[in-house]
Amino acid sequence: MQDIPQTSEAPVASTSKISAKGVQVYYGDNHAIKDVDVEIEDKTVTAFIGPSGCGKSTFLRCINRMNDTIDICRVQGQILIDGEDIYDPAVDPVQLRAKVGMVFQKPNPFPKSIYDNVAYGPRIHGLARNKAELDEIVEKALRRGAIWNEVKDRLQAPGTGLSGGQQQRLCIARAIATEPEVLLMDEPCSALDPIATAQVEELIDELRQNYSVVIVTHSMQQAARVSQRTAFFHLGNLVEFGDTDKIFTTPEDPRTESYITGRIG
Amino acid sequence: MPLSFLGNPLTLALLVLALAIAGYALARGRAMARAGGDARKLHSLPNYYGMTAAMFAAVPALGVLVIWLLTQPMMIQNAILPMLPVAAVGERGTDSLILSDVNRVAEGLNIAVAQGVLDPQSIAALREDPSTLRKTLAGVGVALGSDVEPFVLAAAERARDLDARWDMIRAGVVILIALAGLLLAVRAADPAFRARNVVERGIMALLITAASLAILTTVGIVLSMVFESLNFFSQHPWQDFFLGGSWAPNFRGNSELSILPLLWGTLYISFIALLVAVPIGLFAAIYLSEYAGSKMRAIAKPLLEILAGIPTIVYGLFALLTVGPFLVDVFGAGGALSMEGLRDGDPLMSGATAVITAGLVMGIMLIPFVSSLSDDIINAVPQSLRDGSYGLGATPSETIRNVVLPAALPGIVGAILLAASRAIGETMIVVLGAGAIARFSGNPFEAMTTITTRIVSQLTGDTDFASPETLVAFALGLTLFILTLGLNVIALYIVRTYREQYE
Repeated sequence: MQDIPQTSEAPVASTSKISAKGVQVYYGDNHAIKDVDVEIEDKTVTAFIGPSGCGKSTFLRCINRMNDTIDICRVQGQILIDGEDIYDPAVDPVQLRAKVGMVFQKPNPFPKSIYDNVAYGPRIHGLARNKAELDEIVEKALRRGAIWNEVKDRLQAPGTGLSGGQQQRLCIARAIATEPEVLLMDEPCSALDPIATAQVEELIDELRQNYSVVIVTHSMQQAARVSQRTAFFHLGNLVEFGDTDKIFTTPEDPRTESYITGRIG
Repeated sequence: MPLSFLGNPLTLALLVLALAIAGYALARGRAMARAGGDARKLHSLPNYYGMTAAMFAAVPALGVLVIWLLTQPMMIQNAILPMLPVAAVGERGTDSLILSDVNRVAEGLNIAVAQGVLDPQSIAALREDPSTLRKTLAGVGVALGSDVEPFVLAAAERARDLDARWDMIRAGVVILIALAGLLLAVRAADPAFRARNVVERGIMALLITAASLAILTTVGIVLSMVFESLNFFSQHPWQDFFLGGSWAPNFRGNSELSILPLLWGTLYISFIALLVAVPIGLFAAIYLSEYAGSKMRAIAKPLLEILAGIPTIVYGLFALLTVGPFLVDVFGAGGALSMEGLRDGDPLMSGATAVITAGLVMGIMLIPFVSSLSDDIINAVPQSLRDGSYGLGATPSETIRNVVLPAALPGIVGAILLAASRAIGETMIVVLGAGAIARFSGNPFEAMTTITTRIVSQLTGDTDFASPETLVAFALGLTLFILTLGLNVIALYIVRTYREQYE
């Protein structure tokens, strides 16, 4: 088995979209991320797996500088997106977050209409010159979020009135509407039932054509289903990073093997 | 009488408490004895048996004592009422005057006998001609308004007799009840007796009593207001009160007593106060909850809340002595903004007491109220909504304007309504800062008056308590109460609906 070259694996684009070097994160005195190096490719789904508290969500939140909103959090090291250091003082974190969209663990639609939820980002960033253009952006985002057919007749209904799965797809559409280049997803299916999970996973697979997607997940099956590359975190260390097929069939590190076979975590 | 000390309710209460303590010791000892000295064989801890006995001894006896103390004066009054001359009793108002005379004479006789100035024989000698009694009683510190009539003395003596007799009966009944309760509980003290559960029920009863007392007091306040208001409306046309246009109390009668000018002043001052308090309080709350670091918050929040601890009379002094004169300097005669040229030499503001003075100071008073309520409500907006907004590249102020405030709006409206109801009911600031002239005017630099100010001035005058000029205070108070109650109900309803939204 081990001798067979893995030709079946999806060809990975050679360009690196996100490149992290020597990233350290501290919460007060707690060293949460220890010297992580990772290269994330464009138009690929990269999964971060690992036991609870291993730092995978923390690392994800470094990529769009969401950790800046937490007072006690310090980030060291270098994270480049398209060769540009996002922790450079010249970089505006607000602009960065428009380029790096994020979807959260729990669906968090704003208490506004479905339309206003999706139009929120474009309105803030002035992406539309007039109402017709805004309508177009909203429709496109909702279509890409695979929810257009369900909500097209009730765009003015409150977003909080949708089901959990619909809310999460609405949040994905909301993130897409600002035309990000990278989409970060922090356990996007953990609050959803299996049917809604399947819909969102299908959507993630489609999103790969346009975006670089990074997903944090607790479900190893989900990581295996949706991702091309997988990173395994343990106790703040990046233990192993490689093609998903390889991580799940022939892991190099014994800790990875223990985790995916259910012995730790 | 050797047992006369029992007539004193305080002694009686102490005696009952002593019985309760004895019951505690007896029941505890008996329970322990019947368990053979082994506390583990008892259903409850030994103390619970003691507490049960103490409870049974003290609570019913003290309850009866309190009720008896309240009813005895009424019973005695009913008993002596037939002794008074028919002519004096017929007229309303007069009988209560005579009764209070009787009570004072009875009280005076008690004191005089206690001090040895009078004795039963000398009192009997006074029966035919009690004219010297006034002087005698004045000597022991009881001043009477007029000479004592023979029938008043007779009634007073009868009242004293009844009082002394019933005091003894009361003592007997209360002690009997205490002993009965004590015996019952001590007899029940047995290892199988569930004393713990009985104490639990007793505690529940205590808590229920406290809660219902609070509610009953409110009901009592409302009822007393309603009766006095009905009394007022029977003497004064309601059309004038609710629909009339002027407030001109006249102590010779025929007053014009309309609430409308007062209501206008109240609402105008409250409006200015909210105009000051809502933006400042809300912005302070936003700063504290969204921008301030934890150190800043730890200092600024208590500082802001100190404002809430300042007594309103101090705010009133601040209005009268600082804010008012300052405003007169600016808007009064010779001031920079007095507009005398435009108003034919008539300055915008003529005195320190004005709507604007009271409004500004009341606004300052309300700032911590608005900010602390809004802060709670803003903090209740889930962090996930903020994260969602930041994740889309919004700045903090965009997030607050577009996400946090719309989500918190119902709660903030509730907070503003609560602040409004405090502004409407506020008294001391307007008494000192707003002036005393009832009028409809749009000029905030003029003195106006409010409902609360008029209640104070109508009740603190020298007028007859039964005249409409005094009774109007109750109608004003009731209207104010209904107004603020309505605002509070709406506000609490809004706040509660909002809180349930993000469970």
